[in-house]
Amino acid sequence: MYAVETLDLAIALFLLLNLLAGLGRVHHGPGAADRMLAAMLFGTTTVAVLLLLAEATALPALRDVALLVVLLAAVLVVAFTRTPRREEER
Amino acid sequence: MIDRAFDLLLIGGMLGLAVQVVASRALFRSVVLFIALGLLMAVVWARLAAPDLALAEAAIGAGLTGALLLAAYRALQPAGEAGDAEPAALPRRWALVAAVLSGALVAAIGWAVLGLEPPAASAGREALARLGESGVKSPITAVLLSFRAVDTLAEVVVLFAAFLGARVVAEPLGRAGPGPRPDPAGGEPVLMPLLLRVTVPMGVLVAGYLLWSGGHQPGGAFQAGAVLAALGVLLRLTGRLQPVAETSPAERLALVGGIVLFSAIGLAGAGMASAVLAYPEGWAYTLILLIETGLTLAIALPLTLLFSGSAGLRWRGR
Repeated sequence: MYAVETLDLAIALFLLLNLLAGLGRVHHGPGAADRMLAAMLFGTTTVAVLLLLAEATALPALRDVALLVVLLAAVLVVAFTRTPRREEER
Repeated sequence: MIDRAFDLLLIGGMLGLAVQVVASRALFRSVVLFIALGLLMAVVWARLAAPDLALAEAAIGAGLTGALLLAAYRALQPAGEAGDAEPAALPRRWALVAAVLSGALVAAIGWAVLGLEPPAASAGREALARLGESGVKSPITAVLLSFRAVDTLAEVVVLFAAFLGARVVAEPLGRAGPGPRPDPAGGEPVLMPLLLRVTVPMGVLVAGYLLWSGGHQPGGAFQAGAVLAALGVLLRLTGRLQPVAETSPAERLALVGGIVLFSAIGLAGAGMASAVLAYPEGWAYTLILLIETGLTLAIALPLTLLFSGSAGLRWRGR
């Protein structure tokens, strides 16, 4: 394995550690917004991990996966902030 | 060595997350953890060198299911209560019985699978060896639309049947889905129109790219359809698409068009090519791309309508 790929994987490993540390925020909260923000941080970190893996394992298609995660994070935020409560319209 | 450490951490994280999703008694925490699980699952597929599955997992697992769970959570919450309500817990002994039984089932299946002899000639190897006969360069698309086209056709029919079934069940309830948002402009954050103006055209572009890339690299109708469905969810939640009680002719066409097109080309194969669901010589790539375009709509629309909980959608801009 070449040195650059080892470095890519090492950074990916560090990011994965970050991601798992972020689980603490999901666990403790305290509010729903804190938990949702932690999920968004997961999304961003996953994009970085996928891009690094695309380089390290020579699978360019993983960049498409990263692109998809970026796009769908926007949908999740809107689903969190804009879903109306049923009772409000009754 | 470092890749081993990465994989071990990934496995540990997945297992920990999975336990937390099921064991956590606060509903919202479980929803967020499930979204995180979907993202990690995409990384797992990436590590297993399966970008097709990573794409599907990111689109369906983290994106659409996440939005669906968030909407369901909102619907479950009583008005005016913002706290993380704890659901009533099952008595401990029943939970223990269920855990022991499922554990025994998993152990039994695992034991049986470990004892299996690996087959000498698998269908996957044969598909890879005969990739040239399919007309496309991506082995996944070759299996889905050429070698095992009948399975894909059946899957799309199942999705359509699921949509019809959900309509039948939801009709008397009358209040499926996240509920209408009457006025798109009413009380909307200033950034929302800007977000939509950037995200929606980009999403359509990404869907088209994934559809086209299915011919020679990971991608295809399912991933493209899931992206379009996610955009539909986005427009539905921001009030640009309003739920209505009737399905318009155009929507009906999109719902059944993919199935009809696929079946028609498949049946024509009996006369023009060697068999039903076989493609005429030299036409395979064009026909596969045509079918995939129809399937993209036949996948995106039922998913959006299932999320919306309505029979149809009408555009209502600002």
